Amino acid sequence: MKTMQRRNFIKGLGVSAAALPFLGSLPSLQANRSGGRKQRLIIMFSPNGIVPTNFWPDEEGENFTLKRILAPLEPFKKQTLILHGVSNKVRGDGDSHMRGMSCLLTGIELFPGNIQGGSDTPAGWASGISIDQELRNFLQSREESKTRFGSLELGVAVPHRADPWTRMSYAGPNKPVAPIDDPYLVFEKLYGQMKDKDTLKSVLDDVQSDLETVSRKLSSEDKRMLDEHLTLVREMEKELQSGGEASLNHAVPKLDAGVAIENDSIPKISRMQIELLVNSFLSDSCRVATLQYTNSVGNARMKWLGIEEGHHTLSHDPDMNDVSQEKLTKINTWFCEEMAHLAKRLSESPEPGGEGTLLDNTLIVWTNELGKGNSHTLEDIPFVLVGNGCGFKMGRSLKFKKVEHNRLWMAVAHAFGHPLQSFGNPKLCEGGPLVLA
Amino acid sequence: MCRNAFNCHRLVLLALLSFNFVTVEAVFWKSKNSKKSGQEIYKEMCAHCHGENGEGVADKYDESLYGDRSLPALTKYIDRTMPEDNPDKLDAKGAAKVAEYIYGAFYSPAARAKVAPPKVELSRLTVSQYQNAVADIFDSFKEKPSKLTEERGLRGEYFNARDFNREKKAFERIDGQILFSFGEGTPEPVVAEQGTNHLGEEAFAIRWKGSILVEESGDYEFRIKTENGARLYVNGHEEPLIDAWVSSGPNVREESGMIRLLGGRAYPFKVDFFTYKEKTASIIVEWKPPHKAWEPIPRAHLIPQQLPVTLVVTTSFPADDGSAGYERGTTISREWDQASTYAAIEVAGKITDQVDDLAGTKKEDTERKSKLIQFCHRFAERAFRRPLSDEQKKLFIEQHFENVNEPSGQDAAVKKVILLVLKSPRFLYPEIPDGNVDSYDVASRLSFGLWDTLPDKQLLEAAAKGQLQTASEIASQAERMLNNSRARVKVRAFFEHWLEMEEAEDLSKDPLSFPGFNEAVLADLRTSLELFLDEVVWSEKSDYRELLLADYVFLNNRLEKVYQAGHQQGNGEKLGESEKKADEFRKVRFPADQRTGVLTHPYLLSAFAYHKSSSPIHRGVFLTRNIVGRSLKPPPMAIQFMDGRFDPKMTMREKVTELTSPNACQGCHAVINPLGFSLEHFDAIGRYRTMENEKPVNATSDYTTPGGETIQLKGARDVAEHAAKSKEAQQGFVRQLFQHIVKQPAQAYGPETLRELRGEFEKEGFNIQKLLVKIVSLSASHGIKPDTSLAGGNQ
Repeated sequence: MKTMQRRNFIKGLGVSAAALPFLGSLPSLQANRSGGRKQRLIIMFSPNGIVPTNFWPDEEGENFTLKRILAPLEPFKKQTLILHGVSNKVRGDGDSHMRGMSCLLTGIELFPGNIQGGSDTPAGWASGISIDQELRNFLQSREESKTRFGSLELGVAVPHRADPWTRMSYAGPNKPVAPIDDPYLVFEKLYGQMKDKDTLKSVLDDVQSDLETVSRKLSSEDKRMLDEHLTLVREMEKELQSGGEASLNHAVPKLDAGVAIENDSIPKISRMQIELLVNSFLSDSCRVATLQYTNSVGNARMKWLGIEEGHHTLSHDPDMNDVSQEKLTKINTWFCEEMAHLAKRLSESPEPGGEGTLLDNTLIVWTNELGKGNSHTLEDIPFVLVGNGCGFKMGRSLKFKKVEHNRLWMAVAHAFGHPLQSFGNPKLCEGGPLVLA
Repeated sequence: MCRNAFNCHRLVLLALLSFNFVTVEAVFWKSKNSKKSGQEIYKEMCAHCHGENGEGVADKYDESLYGDRSLPALTKYIDRTMPEDNPDKLDAKGAAKVAEYIYGAFYSPAARAKVAPPKVELSRLTVSQYQNAVADIFDSFKEKPSKLTEERGLRGEYFNARDFNREKKAFERIDGQILFSFGEGTPEPVVAEQGTNHLGEEAFAIRWKGSILVEESGDYEFRIKTENGARLYVNGHEEPLIDAWVSSGPNVREESGMIRLLGGRAYPFKVDFFTYKEKTASIIVEWKPPHKAWEPIPRAHLIPQQLPVTLVVTTSFPADDGSAGYERGTTISREWDQASTYAAIEVAGKITDQVDDLAGTKKEDTERKSKLIQFCHRFAERAFRRPLSDEQKKLFIEQHFENVNEPSGQDAAVKKVILLVLKSPRFLYPEIPDGNVDSYDVASRLSFGLWDTLPDKQLLEAAAKGQLQTASEIASQAERMLNNSRARVKVRAFFEHWLEMEEAEDLSKDPLSFPGFNEAVLADLRTSLELFLDEVVWSEKSDYRELLLADYVFLNNRLEKVYQAGHQQGNGEKLGESEKKADEFRKVRFPADQRTGVLTHPYLLSAFAYHKSSSPIHRGVFLTRNIVGRSLKPPPMAIQFMDGRFDPKMTMREKVTELTSPNACQGCHAVINPLGFSLEHFDAIGRYRTMENEKPVNATSDYTTPGGETIQLKGARDVAEHAAKSKEAQQGFVRQLFQHIVKQPAQAYGPETLRELRGEFEKEGFNIQKLLVKIVSLSASHGIKPDTSLAGGNQ
């Protein structure tokens, strides 16, 4: 049974595809569901908490209204799941921002260390692996889900320093993974070899004619070696012409040239990274990705929204400061627009070799290191889920009573066919995976 | 990699012949011999196995027939052994005729040179030449100080903060090594000046800056040990090689990284360190150079001067062909072509990334295009080691910039140019032999010869002015070039090759018999040998004979414990100052019969030995080929030396004597064994001994020289003294050095080249430096037509 593909299994049961979401809720089927289709996960991060009153729907269940910040998700409302009441309960060394960031995907304490936050004791790196890397390793360990990179860690305006505020992805204890925040570097990583091949192809004729010119000057004995050399170059040219693009099922994305990697380019960089991310799914280069906007305590100046102050500075202002709360609402709405754009691009892209769209097979989780900026609370961390990658029952607003966020990551892992008994600190996993299906 | 059969099978014993079994059908043959000429006898009795011209016959005896026996020795050998199954068929007279014929026709070195005179072969850059050439093209666009400082250590800046805020800087000092345990305290300035800030215990930070000097090319590992925060930068300021900034509890962490570096160069080096609210503070920065053990980076390798970054190609190339006894670039393979392509892509990428800096322009510069074209011209000129013709300018550069105006298009054009230039034979081949040797060819021959890299500015300027025409102009450039770290790297590599030092890599010995012999001792031994070689070669006398005859060894405390313990303690005379640091090396003199130059250096004695015991065969083969300068063919069959098969009471000498006693083995072992036995006073790790297996060591035997003279060898020193005086040995050294430097067979430069060079070597008191100048000058001026003007390009 385990090796049987889910779709075949469903066919064998004689039920139609339309019944799938219901079947997904049966635990026995849940464990087997990763065999058949490509399942993907994107974790998107933005910092400094949100404005609760403009974020959380008042209602619970299927009938709910999206508030201002989440309004951009309206076109995807039926594929959206909003989880209120999920908390990061990891304690120990480090201030809330540090733990908020480095325990967000790991669910486990930070090592004691030498990095001092705004309060509390200094701390070091997280003491465990993050959920994206855990799933990456799981998918890479199996032939049918193995991809070129396994995962991509993308960033937008992440500062060039490595500390517990700038890293949320961990390959293991003390092993932070740096996001790439330069889309040109991401492009190099994805398509660099191909570009080099093109450049190489474009000069090979000249290489040959140069070799021929030189060869004419040589004695017949010396010529032999140069002719061997020439033959090798010709063979390389033939190989380059025969192979190459065949494996690529989509056009190489065209990036705007010369976008500076700086604060004011954030909107452009964001769209470039999203484009590259969608393309990396199309080419099945990875199944797991993180998209990290700035960092914990990120202080981006969103001048394109007419906001001059830094994001983190604003987030400290009290609830009664309407001007600041309005600005913070705008900032968070902008992040939500980026998420909606990502969902849109995925929904416009048919699943290569499969059914439906990429969004049907992808779960995007948008999250944050804090619940709220001015209180630095790690309770009610925003978790907004879009897409059908995990077979959760979408189109709902759920309200939990301060459940541990470790249990959410367990639910995601289980949905990927990776039934972890616990994730992160086991004490924070009692109660098992959140039931979201 | 195995260079030959000896190295492939460390446990192999040789049974080796120069002549093989020849079956002859008729016995009445013998009587008819007297009237036949040597050539006729050879044709009738020998050729069907050895080939018409001694080239060998497949499935019979496929080795070609050549060697270094003298004519009388060859005659005796043939008379005694040939034809193989029935030596009686050929009498002494017949044997003499055959010997005379083959000696003159193809057997002797002189005959071989006449029959198939070696030529200067077209060759590509060796791997080392490629890597150095790329680094030097890149270097030529950077500002470098003309001279490195003599000062050692790194500049340490100490901050009273957990970052590097200028205003919090407390003091500066030069630190020899990064090897600090501050405990619960704080570092202090060397001299407490008035007004110096002392560091707070809760937080302080240190930044060490300077450069690191490396001798050998290869992968270098670095390691930081600290319970605090630290980052290490090597050959680059952007990305740390090791990022251990964030601590993790109170325990010391170890973080490491590896980077490829080229020898004979200095690289920017920086360590940032900080501690904050941690109970203790400490930091150790260590490295593991190729062939060495982990150690805190020694002060001698650190300088406070900051040098620019060097471009080190990381693409791996297949190893160069070493089948002729030296690495050379005379073969080309698909793997090599691919590697040269990937390397070109790598370099093109790295250069394009920083082309604005290198070309002195920026993206918004209206002159950017013309500056980039100019940069490309200079790049191609440097890569090709000569000015470009107009046609070449168009092919390599200008066509790629046509109608290209956007910065990104310009970058793509630069990339194409670099790819094309680095894939061109004008770069990839040290010389394109078009029948006309010009001054630029001479410049390249000099620089690839002595430095394994492109000509420097001075050479190119001399070439442009036509100042590389006369013997004295060429020799004075060579003399100048010898005084450069790159020449030292190349010469060091020669010694590694000559002394087969790679044999000692990853060597281990029986821990029960040799408990003190570990990785650290092995690394120290290598350092000891390198110090010795440098001392001899780069002294004013630079005397080849001292390499063989020196009665001292460089030892540090660790080595002294192993090599000077016990009964030899009183004999060693320390030349160094005893108060020197424990890990410092000093010359230790031994009684003349106990140490004699490289022959008895423990590094080599250990390499040419078994796990538990000495190996007279490996040592003998090494001495035969490399020290006394004779040639040996690979063994036609391999016999394993199995220690367990012998009576355990036997000495190693007795075992080897028994094993190699068959006539078939004696062809070579008559030479190998006496030489190998002469080192029996040294055990498997090269310690001096007088007893082996409860019997007194016997290191005395009779050795027959190629000239047929028999001499008695009583031990290592007798071999060394014989080699120091022997013309064959001297010529063997000259030949190996020539081939390593020039990467071509010496005979290609004239049949008398080696003889003449040896003669001059002797006249100059066997001065190795002068020999190097001679070798490189001779090869650089090869083929110069005295009447043609040498200046200017010819292609």
